[in-house]
Amino acid sequence: MKITRRLLGKAALGLAGAALLMQVPAMAQDRPAPFDKPGAVKIALVRYLSTGDFFQAYLSGVEAQAKALGVDLRVLDSRQDAALQADMVDQAIALGVQGIIIQHGLTESMKEAAQRAVDAGIKVVAFDVNVENPKIPQIEQSDRDLARLALEQAIKDNGESWKAGYVYVAGIAPLDRRNETWVEFKKKYAGINEVAMFGTLDNPIANSVANQARSVLSANPDIKVMFAPYDEFAKGVKIAVDEAGFNKDIKIYSADISTSDIAAMREPDSAWAATAATNPAVVGQVSVRALAQLLAGEDPGHNVIVPPTLITQKDLLDKDIKNMEDLSAKLPQFAHADVAMPAWMPNPNAK
Amino acid sequence: MSSSWVRMAAARDHAIRYGFIVLLFGLIAYFAIAADGFVSPQSAVFIFQSVAITGVLALGVTATLVVGGFDLSIGSVATSAMMAAAYVMVVLEQNAVVAVVACLLIGAVVGLINGWLIVYMRVPDLLATLGMMFLLVGLQRIPTEGRSIATGMTMPDGSVANGTFGSAFLALGRHRFDFFIPNLIPVSVVVLLVLAVLIWFFLEYTRFGRMMYAVGSNERAAELAGAPVKAYKIWAYVISGVFASIGGILLAARLGRGDIASGNNLLLDAVAAALIGYAVLGAAKPNAFGTAVGAVFVGVLLQGLTMMNAPYYTQDFIKGVVLVVALVFTFALSGRGKR
Amino acid sequence: MGKDAVFRVDGLRKSFGHIEVLGGVSLDLHAGEVTVLMGANGAGKSTLVKIISGVYERDGGTMSLAGHDFATQDFALKDFAPNTPAEAIRAGVVTVHQNINDGVVADLDVATNLTLDRLSGSGAPTLFNPGRVRREAKAVADRMGLTIDLKARISDLSLADRQMVAIARAMAHRPKVLILDEPTSSLSSAEADRLFALLDRLREQGVAILYISHRMSDIRRLADRIVSMRDGVISGVFDRKPLDYEGAVNAMLGRKIRLDRIVARNSAKPVLTIDGLRIAEGARPISLTLGDGEVVAITGLVGVGKTALAETLFGVRKPLSGTMALNGKPYAPGSTGEAIAAGVFLVAKDRGENGIVGDFNIQENISLPFHKRMSHLGVLKRRVERATARQQIRELGIVCRSEKDEMSALSGGNQQKVMVARWMSQAAKLFILDEPFQGVDISARRDIAAKLRASANGRATLLFVTELDEALETADRILVMSEQTIVGEHRNADIDLERLLAEVAGGPLHSAA
Repeated sequence: MKITRRLLGKAALGLAGAALLMQVPAMAQDRPAPFDKPGAVKIALVRYLSTGDFFQAYLSGVEAQAKALGVDLRVLDSRQDAALQADMVDQAIALGVQGIIIQHGLTESMKEAAQRAVDAGIKVVAFDVNVENPKIPQIEQSDRDLARLALEQAIKDNGESWKAGYVYVAGIAPLDRRNETWVEFKKKYAGINEVAMFGTLDNPIANSVANQARSVLSANPDIKVMFAPYDEFAKGVKIAVDEAGFNKDIKIYSADISTSDIAAMREPDSAWAATAATNPAVVGQVSVRALAQLLAGEDPGHNVIVPPTLITQKDLLDKDIKNMEDLSAKLPQFAHADVAMPAWMPNPNAK
Repeated sequence: MSSSWVRMAAARDHAIRYGFIVLLFGLIAYFAIAADGFVSPQSAVFIFQSVAITGVLALGVTATLVVGGFDLSIGSVATSAMMAAAYVMVVLEQNAVVAVVACLLIGAVVGLINGWLIVYMRVPDLLATLGMMFLLVGLQRIPTEGRSIATGMTMPDGSVANGTFGSAFLALGRHRFDFFIPNLIPVSVVVLLVLAVLIWFFLEYTRFGRMMYAVGSNERAAELAGAPVKAYKIWAYVISGVFASIGGILLAARLGRGDIASGNNLLLDAVAAALIGYAVLGAAKPNAFGTAVGAVFVGVLLQGLTMMNAPYYTQDFIKGVVLVVALVFTFALSGRGKR
Repeated sequence: MGKDAVFRVDGLRKSFGHIEVLGGVSLDLHAGEVTVLMGANGAGKSTLVKIISGVYERDGGTMSLAGHDFATQDFALKDFAPNTPAEAIRAGVVTVHQNINDGVVADLDVATNLTLDRLSGSGAPTLFNPGRVRREAKAVADRMGLTIDLKARISDLSLADRQMVAIARAMAHRPKVLILDEPTSSLSSAEADRLFALLDRLREQGVAILYISHRMSDIRRLADRIVSMRDGVISGVFDRKPLDYEGAVNAMLGRKIRLDRIVARNSAKPVLTIDGLRIAEGARPISLTLGDGEVVAITGLVGVGKTALAETLFGVRKPLSGTMALNGKPYAPGSTGEAIAAGVFLVAKDRGENGIVGDFNIQENISLPFHKRMSHLGVLKRRVERATARQQIRELGIVCRSEKDEMSALSGGNQQKVMVARWMSQAAKLFILDEPFQGVDISARRDIAAKLRASANGRATLLFVTELDEALETADRILVMSEQTIVGEHRNADIDLERLLAEVAGGPLHSAA
């Protein structure tokens, strides 16, 4: 490492060639083309959503895997501007990249842009946006599995019959998919009685949801389970439950995880019982790996699904997990997913 | 003829004066019947708690409205203060006092800069504070590279932040005072009430408040009456900034972490409360009492609607309706809108 | 004269709330004639003009305008009822309002302003052709004898130039009826002459002109007929040559002008001494002394520096050079606050703009500058405030229901009394009033003047007035300002009016012819 860094310093002085050679990871020659000379491979990440912990972690995963492969990564961030995101795909084409990862976005605006990239001979994968293109593998975290894992835990903890509060905002794709599972569960277990449904995306979301949840709790003090399949919702519900003093009577089940979520779940007598989560960093790594497989002429499959992990309050306490790093270190299934992992693929988690 | 005309005018006067208060009580009566558990001390306290943060912001923005200005940056000042509180405690591992002081300083400094831009750089108030809003939304992300702040988070340089929110700080969001019923009134509600009384007294009964109204109504006349107009305007923005940062402190104490957020909803709700306040008691001008009533009005509405399982978008809709009705009260019925 | 009327107003009525402003006004305008409309402030002139020009709706009465169908020779009067100013202009009735900035768009250049109505008219081409605009504008400017750079932005022009543009813009419509509302109030005499020459030309072309003014020099120069207005009705029409100017003024005021010769006082004890004060680049320095108990009026045309001098004394602006002393102590206020603290008070001109706080009631308006003296630890003592206001209302005879009345409920004269009351509520060393009789009816004016004289002891009182009558009615001493300096001084006893007027006009008697 030291040598590389020093040489990188020299690169800045003009010894670019030497530096480039040294940057190439040691095992590169064993990999299929074009990854035998990964320094020449340029890929782009075209983002729609970028603010927030999830997207930050996703980006770090993309960066880690790109670094492990030794490829040149460009990040184009449209900051929730759908038209700009489509333009950025064209911009990436103009940059001469070989591969593009489309991260979120709208089907309507991205479908044609993605097709243009494919037409230009560029390999494309899409994460969490359906670009309706058979040549483009879809990377997905399985929202249905997320909801299922959390709800199965709720059934395990509380039996098959309870009064529930449910936090949901329609029209948000992942929440809609999680909602499908909730609807199925309600059908399957007649004892689940949803007495209140609420939710808002007014930010700060946790604060707004807390206000709503307080109202719901005063109207329905007999709620036993709160299903809040998005961690911002769960945070808000937890604040309300604590403020109402119901933290020993109510259990919260959610999806997603972050360091502050871990802290909230670990609090003494915390109502937040379990959450199901896909490690966004892993999703980022899988996105790059699927793209790399395409570039190497391999087929990752049309639907590349990153499996979620169930994280319970008990796990966190027993294994003394305090933050995301601990989680990755102590729950191996969370740190790494064996998806899009051919033998030649470097594992960014390997130390 | 003329006596009936006079009676009608008096009736209209009463409608303008007390219409909104009557509407508020009507609303409470309606929810009391329609929503189970709406009428209880806890419920009342909760309504105050739910509007405490926006209420504090609204009281601050009232000060800028009084001098004829506007402050679009309050939402982002609040969230920046929240981030600052989290950063000071979690990353710098300082105590609650340091965190509170840091937040208040941020509010005051932002207010000073806003005032300076508006008064000395002659940037129109909406534009200056809009710029400040964007600046702060970006600035609050820089120290952590866009991450939210919570104990145990990994910093950009790979180290782990081990500080915690001090219990004294969290008490600001979670402690409750006994008031007839034990553990009834949260700190945030007390803060809201204290600040409301303070700013109300300041605006209505001190010469400084009176002069701020004069500046807002006719700046030139105020200057020719010997008032340091520029100083008053800057002070208004400082008040607004400090109040917004107090809102941010309460927010951080409630959430127990530093959340990346633009605070735009806080801004909009606060401005709505202040504007609804114009209609209270037929004031037809920004006033602290009206702002507080406006905030409670919104709180009552949202509490009642949520208890009745109304979805979130209907709540925005109703908020909008209330605001529009309040503005009609202010500008059309009282006839004060036109000069 | 036998001429047919091209424009006729008959029995026009208008009320605002309970107040009747026009009580049945009838008026004819004839082609090729300048009709001067005279009236005291509040007589209803502006309201009449605003109804004719389509700004206000009338409550009753009719208006009619001659047709202009040359084919059928139909010149009969037709009903004229404009709903908007644009309709009035299209029909051929064009008004140049007193407020210059209403007549021009400050951010556009002169050429665009001159052709604005054609650009915004319904037949205007969609595409803007700068060349054509400039050509048309040049034609308009040439007709007017206007020598302003057509590319200059209005906001960069002087008030007088803006006024010329506003009038030229009105001319571009080739109106049948042209109404000018005090058009010379901010013009220099050379510019006024240019305007008069133009009006002569328009008169020859057969335009019917309604000219509103109470400047006698304008009226003598222009009038073919004089119509006097008082209290919302026509109080006299004078069209027999030679015109009876005195009769017109009497009809306007409703009584003989009785210049109440005041007993001019002398003062021995100086209060304010000004030495070598220059208020503008290139102006000659001003030196003067004001004595205790003395009421001094400074008169002069608009734009000669009266307001600048008032503002310099009050700390709004700084002099270029020179010194001031108040009761023998050096006086150099850095702000209005410092001036007030030193005992120098100013009733600023244009109360709507500079004085009245619209959101405040009478009491709050009166106490405005003296909050500090009426509060304890920053908290206002409302009882003191109310007592002060009540006393002032009594002393100045302000007509109102109570000290809690809104300012907008008061008449102009009473509003002005409140402005004076504001500064009379505390003792001044130097009391300055800038155009205190602007927009004030005659009785309020007399009340204010009498109050000023009665309370004059213990301070120096300085008035800035454009109207000479106001100075003659109020002051012990009259100073004349011209070109940012004092050019003449008269004791108000046996005044050489001719000399005074010559000084006002700027210099020695050069217009003796």
